[in-house]
Amino acid sequence: MTNHWIDLKNSDCILIMGSNAAENHPISFKYVTEAMLNGAKLISVDPRFTKTSSKADIYAALRSGTDIAFLGGMIKYVLDKELYNKEYTAAYTNASFIVGKDFSFKDGIFSGYTKGEKGHPSTGSYDKSKWAFEVDEKGVPKMDKTLQDPKCVFQLLKQHYDRYTLETVSLITGTSTEDLLKVYEAYSTTGATGKAGTIMYAMGWTQHTVGTQIIRTMSILQLLLGNMGVAGGGVNALRGESNVQGSTDHALLWHILPGYLKGIKASQDTLTAYNTKWTPKSSDPLSINWWQNYPKYSVSLLKSFFGEKATKENDFGYSWLPKADDNGSYSWSDIFDAMYKDKIKGFLAWGQNPACSGANSSKTRKALEKLDWMVNVNLFDNETGSFWHGPGVDPSKVKTEVFMLPAAVSVEKEGSIINSGRWMQWRYQGPKPMGDSRPDGDIIFELFHTIKELYHKDASNGKANKKDKKNKAKGGVFPEPILNLKWDYETSGVYDAHKVAKQINGYFIKDVTIKDKGYKAGTLVPNFTMLQDDGSTSSGCWIYCGSYTEEGNMSARRDTQDAPNNIGLYPKFAWAWPLNRRIIYNRASVNPKGEPWNKDKWVVKFAGEQKDGKWTTNKWEGDVPDGGAFPLENPDGTKRDDGKNPFIMQKDGYGQIYGPGLADGPFPEHYEPLECPVEKNYLSGQLVNPTAIVYSTDEDSHATCDPRFPFVGTTYRVCEHWQTGLMTRPQAWLMELQPQMFVEMSEELAALRGIKNGERVKVSSVRAAVECTAIVTKRFKPFKVGGGVVHQVGVPWHFGWRWPESRAEESANLLTSSAGDPNTRIPETKAFMVNVTKL
Amino acid sequence: MDLNRREFLQVTSAAAAGVAVSTLGFDLMPVKAHAQMLKTKYAKETTTICCYCAVGCGAIVHTSQRGDGRVINIEGDPDHVINRGALCPKGSSLKQLVENENRLTRPMYRAPFSDKWQAVSWDWAFEKIAHKIKETRDATFEAKNAKGQVVNRTTAIASVGSAAMDNEECWVYQAMLRALGLVYVEHQARI
Amino acid sequence: MEKSFFIDTTICTGCRGCQVACKQWHDLPAESTKNLGTFQNPPDLSFVTYKLVRMKEEVIDNKLNWLFFPDQCRHCTDAPCLQVAENTKAIYRDADTGAIIYTIATKELDADAIIDSCPYNIPRKGEDGTISKCDMCNDRVHNGLKPACVTTCPTGTMNFGDRQEMLDMANKRLAEVKAKYPNAALLNPDDVNVIYLVAHDPKLYYEYSVASHSKVEKGISRKVALRKMMGPFASLMRA
Repeated sequence: MTNHWIDLKNSDCILIMGSNAAENHPISFKYVTEAMLNGAKLISVDPRFTKTSSKADIYAALRSGTDIAFLGGMIKYVLDKELYNKEYTAAYTNASFIVGKDFSFKDGIFSGYTKGEKGHPSTGSYDKSKWAFEVDEKGVPKMDKTLQDPKCVFQLLKQHYDRYTLETVSLITGTSTEDLLKVYEAYSTTGATGKAGTIMYAMGWTQHTVGTQIIRTMSILQLLLGNMGVAGGGVNALRGESNVQGSTDHALLWHILPGYLKGIKASQDTLTAYNTKWTPKSSDPLSINWWQNYPKYSVSLLKSFFGEKATKENDFGYSWLPKADDNGSYSWSDIFDAMYKDKIKGFLAWGQNPACSGANSSKTRKALEKLDWMVNVNLFDNETGSFWHGPGVDPSKVKTEVFMLPAAVSVEKEGSIINSGRWMQWRYQGPKPMGDSRPDGDIIFELFHTIKELYHKDASNGKANKKDKKNKAKGGVFPEPILNLKWDYETSGVYDAHKVAKQINGYFIKDVTIKDKGYKAGTLVPNFTMLQDDGSTSSGCWIYCGSYTEEGNMSARRDTQDAPNNIGLYPKFAWAWPLNRRIIYNRASVNPKGEPWNKDKWVVKFAGEQKDGKWTTNKWEGDVPDGGAFPLENPDGTKRDDGKNPFIMQKDGYGQIYGPGLADGPFPEHYEPLECPVEKNYLSGQLVNPTAIVYSTDEDSHATCDPRFPFVGTTYRVCEHWQTGLMTRPQAWLMELQPQMFVEMSEELAALRGIKNGERVKVSSVRAAVECTAIVTKRFKPFKVGGGVVHQVGVPWHFGWRWPESRAEESANLLTSSAGDPNTRIPETKAFMVNVTKL
Repeated sequence: MDLNRREFLQVTSAAAAGVAVSTLGFDLMPVKAHAQMLKTKYAKETTTICCYCAVGCGAIVHTSQRGDGRVINIEGDPDHVINRGALCPKGSSLKQLVENENRLTRPMYRAPFSDKWQAVSWDWAFEKIAHKIKETRDATFEAKNAKGQVVNRTTAIASVGSAAMDNEECWVYQAMLRALGLVYVEHQARI
Repeated sequence: MEKSFFIDTTICTGCRGCQVACKQWHDLPAESTKNLGTFQNPPDLSFVTYKLVRMKEEVIDNKLNWLFFPDQCRHCTDAPCLQVAENTKAIYRDADTGAIIYTIATKELDADAIIDSCPYNIPRKGEDGTISKCDMCNDRVHNGLKPACVTTCPTGTMNFGDRQEMLDMANKRLAEVKAKYPNAALLNPDDVNVIYLVAHDPKLYYEYSVASHSKVEKGISRKVALRKMMGPFASLMRA
């Protein structure tokens, strides 16, 4: 979330699309309701009438996977009716940038396209250099602030979405033109200065072959309407797990390192090469270009990994970290693809249940059988750890050794998590861990301690441990990173979360003087502006620097006093990254002179002194301002040389309406889901995303426009269960409320198939079939798509054979495909084709 | 509203007539409500943040200070500025997540081709897993890739997990995995 | 001081936090259920389910509505069940809070008569003959806490406080809601301590959302009322 949960109350119009917040983030409705009681409009766009829809002022149904068409139509509407915020768009976005002559778009394909090799998951790729901006001699993009140049982003945007007429959009989405207009009209009112519109989305947007571009389409709208950085605005991803923000911040993902530093590629053979590659340079004096600090964060990270073993001479241990092949991909679906192809021997499933959570679960489950060993750490036995005695599996044929380790529940240990609004909050221990269960941190600490000892023994004796014949006398392979990894996070021999939290924040390693102030070695760094690239500081995740300082554990704060602007920031309750900033890009909430667009719900405002119409001192009030530089203009309207653009994380400092960095184009374009019910894309000759990721083992079949699978299927969640259900299915109170796998369908579809409400039916895709209880409901309606009728059904993905013990309820992900988005490789589990039949 | 009111009266009129009669002969005074003690009165109180979705709701955990020292109540924290005491059904059932007879309470091991779990000790499990990791890592370690570039990694071990862990746990976990040379490091955020 | 709930169904999202919070606080067991083609579960109130969010899908003025009705005992100001019981050891009215409390001694009552007396179809009989229902979390209320279902409600659907405060809140909210829903109404506000606000015809939410006349005809009007009228001879009549 660029904003945060409480901030929803400040909105004038809330669009909930790609999520069902009332069902899946129920407490968010505290603030959605508050906004509505204050006069805000709520819009719900969903294939199915949901609990969210039941509270909405406007509900519009759309067919799964057609969000870009829906939102592209809104971009056209906003541009045609000139409802965009002109001052904001011209001043703060790259609408004025001139795009280079190599950019083109023809019949659904951008310039620079090459088809992928057969058998490779990537179906195609672009040479993104074709989409670059025109730059001046200093490398600064050329601009036309009047937005009239035919090659400027604004004009190209207009041209691109000119095809997205109401009629065409309606043909694709199945939404009536009346409903489209209702949504467009209501939402585009937020383009007025002082009005705020927000978007609440979740996996309904990400889980598509065009997922990233759906979010981009909305981001473009938010920029055009001036909704970024303001109270009640922003682009708000409703993250689904209590600490998925933290686990992402701390880079439990192959392509990044903690703090969104880039994963290391094989071609970056030295730290200098790596830092040079990822440190952007801008010659525009108006751009803060925050990532110019990259080396400070990467070196401080290496210092946190390897402590005193990381020295300038050894590149701070850079070579000890693993490197990915430059064109390699190691994402979730790639793991199970490689595992299925017998390329992975050992597997750690830590607090995860991939046998139910990943797309195409039958492939996942078959892949697990190919492992030599697996470690499964969880609260409950699950479908992953017990795969060897799952439905249709003969244990006597499964070689895999499985270790199942009991983890403690969150209330049985101490540590912090960070919510979707980036609020880091400390949790305390209530009871002791039940039985022999242990906190994850404890297990990790002990396990690596044991591994270190093995390598240490090998290294010091020059011979292996006797049991370990294979490595005898080898000393273990490349032991340096293992032996040198700092691993002193214990107190009295037990894992201590506070010590890790401090390491994440970071220490001064040497006595340092910064801006005339001295800091002692061994003290905690107050915030990331103090981090250094010479090895004098450490920080395990630079964006968390400031979370645990000499002043204490900031995440444990409980002060319920609001800030003077009274918009629900609560700056001394918990702590938010970065720098306790509660609303990101908040400098865009003020005009170039530093005055809030909205005087009542202001986020920051410039409060420096002025003389003769010029700002003379630098002072901001309200939230922690982005960058903290002077405003772009003086009170008398003259430009300042030391003013800075608000989008400080972008190289040039502008919000990106044109995004030349994505894999599938600088402007979002509608493509059908990989499995779809229509043979034609009404917007171009390109049916599906030409860069989609598609796997090709015998377990990866797809069926599009296939009469055997005539209905659109989608997955979702219910309030009473969570993710694969592993932390809810063993609970009687929750099972009482949602006891069984179900499929929701319209009355029309039920009539077509002769299905009665409440009876068990079979839902099948080309990959598998799952038994479900039919919920026949008015909340699903057939779509009129391209002159025909398309039915859609929906299934929750919370079930699995292990719980309930009847073994009769199975995972919806048996049905889904692992084909995915080219930017994220998130699988397209929100749109696939199925059949529904009586049992 | 009038209509509803009228309907109610139709119901109560019969009963009201009854009261008029019965009050002649019966003492209808309710038994005195004795001051009731809360089950949480002597419990240890700690705060937590709900472990389900990412709204980050605060909850209060009441743990018995006597007997088994287990949780007797978990409810929304009214002083938490986000949820102000509110919890959804999952949050409301947190106690049953903790105090659940289905939980794993011992390390378990399944041998190759076996049809059952066996309980093992933590020491045994750590030793055995550490050896497995070392064996696989050392046997499959790639110092250089096919192009001859230094990569110092193993692609024969993969990890998924976990957004269910605390920040500090995530951090030490990724540090361990990266020190081991894993590049297949993924979790829920990817799906 | 007499306490009341104000339940504003117009902002209820049907999350059922209240339903589980009730079980959690009261340590009530879960029922073994099946999916019956609806999200509503268990299908009805029971001896171990005091609070139930009832759900209905209704097309009203060509617009689909998903109606949520968090059902529970109304703690009537003049409770028929209490009058029928005539046994203050079994059913009494808490003088401080106005809560209608069922005790273990309800075992001694004619359960069917008690159940039939309720215009809202609330009390339920257990296997051993005791009767149960919502107790207003009387223990919490006496200790300055709100009932579990109120504390846990995300949206402000569930409210609890002094009766007059709740009545004021209900009337204010009714006036606001009327602009959008002309048929909005408070359900029997003068007679109950659990005051519901509904946006549409109350019968669309649940048959017994308002005091039910049909229930009266089946139950209280004949058997119970007669028995009440007979006063001291009630036991003879029953035999």
